[in-house]
Amino acid sequence: MSVKLFDGNSAAVEAIRLARPGVIAAYPITPQSGIAERLADEVADGRIRAEYVRVESEHTAMSVAVGAQLTGVRVATATASVGLALMHEVCGVAAGCRVPIVMPVVNRSLASPWSLWCDHSDTMAERDTGWLQYYCATVQEVLDLTLCAYRIAEHGDVLTPAMVCLDGFFLSHSMQRVETPSDEEAWTFVGPYVRKNMYLDPEDVMFVNALCPTFEHTEMKYQQAVGFERAAEVTKDVFSEFERRFGRKLSTVECYRLEDADVAVVTIGSMSGAARYVADQLRAAGVRAGVLRICMFRPFPAEEVRQALKNVKVVGVVDRSSGLGAAQGPVCSEVKAACYGESPRIFSFIGGIAGRDISDISFRRIFGELQEVCEGRRDVCTRWFDASEDAMNIREVETPC
Amino acid sequence: MQKIKFYGVGGQGAVTAAKVLSIAVCLYQDEYAVTVPVYSHERRGSPVYAHIIVDDQPVLLNCYVYEPDIVVVFDDDLIDMGVDVAEGCSPDTVLVLNTRRPETAERYRRAGGFRRILTCDATGAAVKTIGLNIPNSAMLGALARTGVVSIDAVGSALRDAFGKAGEKNVNAAEYAYEHTQDA
Repeated sequence: MSVKLFDGNSAAVEAIRLARPGVIAAYPITPQSGIAERLADEVADGRIRAEYVRVESEHTAMSVAVGAQLTGVRVATATASVGLALMHEVCGVAAGCRVPIVMPVVNRSLASPWSLWCDHSDTMAERDTGWLQYYCATVQEVLDLTLCAYRIAEHGDVLTPAMVCLDGFFLSHSMQRVETPSDEEAWTFVGPYVRKNMYLDPEDVMFVNALCPTFEHTEMKYQQAVGFERAAEVTKDVFSEFERRFGRKLSTVECYRLEDADVAVVTIGSMSGAARYVADQLRAAGVRAGVLRICMFRPFPAEEVRQALKNVKVVGVVDRSSGLGAAQGPVCSEVKAACYGESPRIFSFIGGIAGRDISDISFRRIFGELQEVCEGRRDVCTRWFDASEDAMNIREVETPC
Repeated sequence: MQKIKFYGVGGQGAVTAAKVLSIAVCLYQDEYAVTVPVYSHERRGSPVYAHIIVDDQPVLLNCYVYEPDIVVVFDDDLIDMGVDVAEGCSPDTVLVLNTRRPETAERYRRAGGFRRILTCDATGAAVKTIGLNIPNSAMLGALARTGVVSIDAVGSALRDAFGKAGEKNVNAAEYAYEHTQDA
């Protein structure tokens, strides 16, 4: 183990290199380009002994990944934003064919308005396509969760692909200290890829993903659902083993000062450290504040969330995607459902869209509103907490053009 | 905890300098740093920003800096480009300014109320030592005068970051370190 400096993209590449993939197919897209480019460097310089397939789109990248991994080789790819949207169809194929691909996704807003910057609209749109989803809070976690994801996704009881989600720019381009295992230490943990289900023999090819009759389809979906149930248990086992080997604790949900909390925020992704920072400040000022950070979003750890929040009086859930048309943001919907029948009042907060910074200032404001609710001085919270007051006047057009 | 904000214009290497500062602090000073660069519509000549938080404890904040302890300005024209480098600053905020004109330092002092301004002709230092007008390594040398990072740590990080060109960049940083003055 040694301390290295990585940005999030380089940490993802390092994790992929340590897992020794045999085939790589990636299409560059901001802010993931660093992954696609550095993977190519690693192959060119012989540090990864893989075939790098240059593809013309993300749809093809995932198609190559599915086909290659079915032959019994670990495959690497990565994407972001509209690239993930273009992959959507084939993501479902990977999941349904139980091909346990591990894919870093660098979170970036979905069009439109066109943006290069971070929010979770891309991966939230994929939340029900049959992939595991882990959201990183730090660059260290990009490395750690990617290594763990191989073990979880490829586990014989799971066989479900996994997205490791890292916030565009806030993590992908942020240089941070990363404790990095040696090649040997990592390989002892990840191990070689072993195919455990349907496979393709290149010498005797067969048709995969043929039409499935109605009388079997429900059962196939049920098998996937069972895979998700097992993934929740396997994730905990793998996180425990990871901690024993490497000394770093990973949690499906991270509870911070929640035991006696009156007010709490629920966070996901790189915003989470700022929430803890503000909770510490509020605690020092006598406010009983806590934070629940969700790392594993799929499968959703509903029971853990319920246990963590059931005694909190007022909860604010911060979504980094708009959840247009829904009753609240997607993370908040899950949290509310998990806490159904329990007493906390739960409010949806939506912000940090398309690169808008979520800082300690944001959390002071959010906690402030939650405290006012707690003290009976407020009934409604400002859902779009960082939108400007003149939002409806932005780019207003008086005459049709 | 020290919160630092870098202001530059595209092409000066301000974002690279922020990353090199992270290497210096984390690997050669055994402290912690989180760098959050701001990428906008990238083109040479437009303002660029980077935010760095340095601490002897692990850094929780993974966001921008709004109340900087140190502001590093890579181009003294920024004051005329509508960029408010004093935003969020207090009189205790230290300004590290790339300029060769004392009167420019005074304009910045009037605009921002900075009590302490360190000036360095970092562009001149870069031309002299590297042969290029890219002031980023020299500005890290000037920044070392604030004490947030040591000049030795900056040197080691520059060698890591620039490979073959490492030595020239170390020379730029050391030259700038020697020629940084309180304005």
